[in-house]
Amino acid sequence: MFSFIGNYATLSAVLVATLLPFIAFLAILIFTRSNTRLSSRLSIGAVSVSLGCALLLLLMNWHLEKPIEYSAVWLVSSAVEIPFGFLIDPLSLLMLAIVAAISFLVQVYSLGYMEGDPGFSRYYAFMSLFAWAMLSLTVSPTILQLYIFWELVGLSSYLLIGFWYEKFSASQAGKKAFVMTRTGDVAFFLGILIVLYHIGNFSILEMNGPQAAERMAPSVLTLSALLIFCGIIGKSAQFPLLTWLPDAMEGPTPVSALLHSATMVAAGVFLFARLFPFFSLSPAAMEIFLAIGTISMLLASTMAMVSRDIKKVWAYSTISQLGYMIMALGAGSYFSGVFHLTTHAGFKSLLFLCSGVFIHHFETNDIYELGKLGARRLKIPTVAIVVASAALAGLPPLSGYFSKEAILAGLSAKANPLWLSAALFGVFLTSYYTFRVIFVVFLSRIGEEKPEGRSSDTAGGAGHTGGSGYWFMAWPLIVLAAVTLILGFFEIPLKSFLTGGVASVVPREGGAVSWAGHLALGLALFGVFLSWFEFGRPNARQIGFIESIPPLFKLFSERWYLDHFYRFFVTHVIDRGISYLCYQNDNKVIDGSIDKMCESTVEGGEVVALWHLSMVQYRLLIMFAVIALLSIYFFF
Amino acid sequence: MIVPFGHVLIFAGILFLLGMFCAVSRRNLIMIVLGIEIMLNSASLLFVASALRWQNMEGQAFVLFVLAVAATEVSVGLAIIVYAYKRTGSFDPSNFNLLK
Repeated sequence: MFSFIGNYATLSAVLVATLLPFIAFLAILIFTRSNTRLSSRLSIGAVSVSLGCALLLLLMNWHLEKPIEYSAVWLVSSAVEIPFGFLIDPLSLLMLAIVAAISFLVQVYSLGYMEGDPGFSRYYAFMSLFAWAMLSLTVSPTILQLYIFWELVGLSSYLLIGFWYEKFSASQAGKKAFVMTRTGDVAFFLGILIVLYHIGNFSILEMNGPQAAERMAPSVLTLSALLIFCGIIGKSAQFPLLTWLPDAMEGPTPVSALLHSATMVAAGVFLFARLFPFFSLSPAAMEIFLAIGTISMLLASTMAMVSRDIKKVWAYSTISQLGYMIMALGAGSYFSGVFHLTTHAGFKSLLFLCSGVFIHHFETNDIYELGKLGARRLKIPTVAIVVASAALAGLPPLSGYFSKEAILAGLSAKANPLWLSAALFGVFLTSYYTFRVIFVVFLSRIGEEKPEGRSSDTAGGAGHTGGSGYWFMAWPLIVLAAVTLILGFFEIPLKSFLTGGVASVVPREGGAVSWAGHLALGLALFGVFLSWFEFGRPNARQIGFIESIPPLFKLFSERWYLDHFYRFFVTHVIDRGISYLCYQNDNKVIDGSIDKMCESTVEGGEVVALWHLSMVQYRLLIMFAVIALLSIYFFF
Repeated sequence: MIVPFGHVLIFAGILFLLGMFCAVSRRNLIMIVLGIEIMLNSASLLFVASALRWQNMEGQAFVLFVLAVAATEVSVGLAIIVYAYKRTGSFDPSNFNLLK
């Protein structure tokens, strides 16, 4: 159905979309570091062109029938060819658009947020690098290319989390994020190698095609699926490796917004969706994915219930929402996972950007502090954050409601009711902790002094916040809030678009959907009500029911002692066990043997040197010896 | 030939080794030259014995040449030794290490 011209246009649009941010990155780092205005313009210009191309691609290929792949051979090694190129299918197009859109909005927002920062140019350079890596990741046709950009995404998030590197905790957090995701990536790479060994190339289409099941035994397939999933666990901060994400809040808030919605953590879920047909060949692995998603979702929700740091609450909620996506995909419901990824990208970046406005304005992350300082005087972010929170809690008619309902429908198709009930419990927890933040920040009355004159000043809008910086921050909020409001109604067209390319879709069951959906809505409303009762109503004590059970509170606020466990594990097993053995091996065996070799060489040299004492007779002796040896050689 | 050729071979070999040992181990220039002379003699002995063994006169002719060379070698060698003794006052070969 595509003419040559159409193909050509698609190819060039993809090229432009993926390469421009990289060019901007190089240009900023090499030429325009001293000129902050030019740097930010370059970066925003590049990403806006990418956004334009991505939207154009989305429109051009809306009725895409089968995936388009362009590739050129990059490496040839006997039987293995490694191509580089682009893979255009509904999933990559959708993700391309999301990434470009969120990057664009975040970069515009950063104009206000990062104003006057000494590292302004560096910030935009890294943002461009981040955008480039993620955009290229989405269109990778081979798993190896995907892996390369996957690592680049990890690198750029390391650079951005540790952006304020003078701050010790920030550089530590960056390191932690990098190391923890790398831990998963090692397993991911092993999984890729298994796939290469059995299938013979890296092509994603072949992995997803019928060849995978033919060429790989079920046990091998499960093993490689699990190994690849370890990479997803690391990247998407799922259960065993989830503690890096809250610490990643040390970075600038726009970075958190980008990291949490469209790029870093979304890369994990994207990979899952990308290899969905491959993963679904192994039912055992899918059950494990489902379990891991459920555990992360519930754990992170409980952590979010007691956190006082506004950014950390959203970080935990990201983990739990990612858990939902993994659950949905693990339950075999491809569309609902991707749809939730889409809606989540919108409302989670909105949440972070709004929090960023408050943090920028009041210079505190603590929700109680924000409440006392009167955060609700900033009208636009207040409205936007309420919209986003309602979407996160899954209240209609916002986007989160639709996607969450789709997930619940997918889960209700599973025979085991455990998953569905866990998800429903998660819905309750989500709405509880979300509205806890909202009520504490906006309905707080404790110690709030509000001068009369100031309130009339703020009534006219955000007058006292002043400056263009505020508006740079406000516009993306308005856009994202609008998207959050309307995105849910595009469920049906998106579904036909996405599932056009993927054959295996679990059919929805009408009865179960409405039943689970109504129950979820009820639970969400109950969560809102409970948090209103505890935090929002007049004369509320603002103490949650968790705080009244000290052991539970301690457990949740210490993040289930996961970090303690890691610290213990690292010091006792790795430092004192493995590292110590390696150190001893290095010292005694390797160094010792090399030292001995050197010493024996020196000693041998000394012995040989005795012959060279410039004695005529020694030379004579050597001549005799040589002649004797030569005669032995010639005559025998 | 009364003496078996094998005996001559063994005798010449022992003589050669003795000369070699003398040339290598003695710390005296004169003794080194002496050792070399003994080695030459053992070679000459072998030439004579082989000439007898194979009934061929070329071996004896060679021995005449070797004697002539040995005579010149002794005269030149002793001259060098005398000169060296004049320079250093000893016969120790370890004094001659200018090329070290």
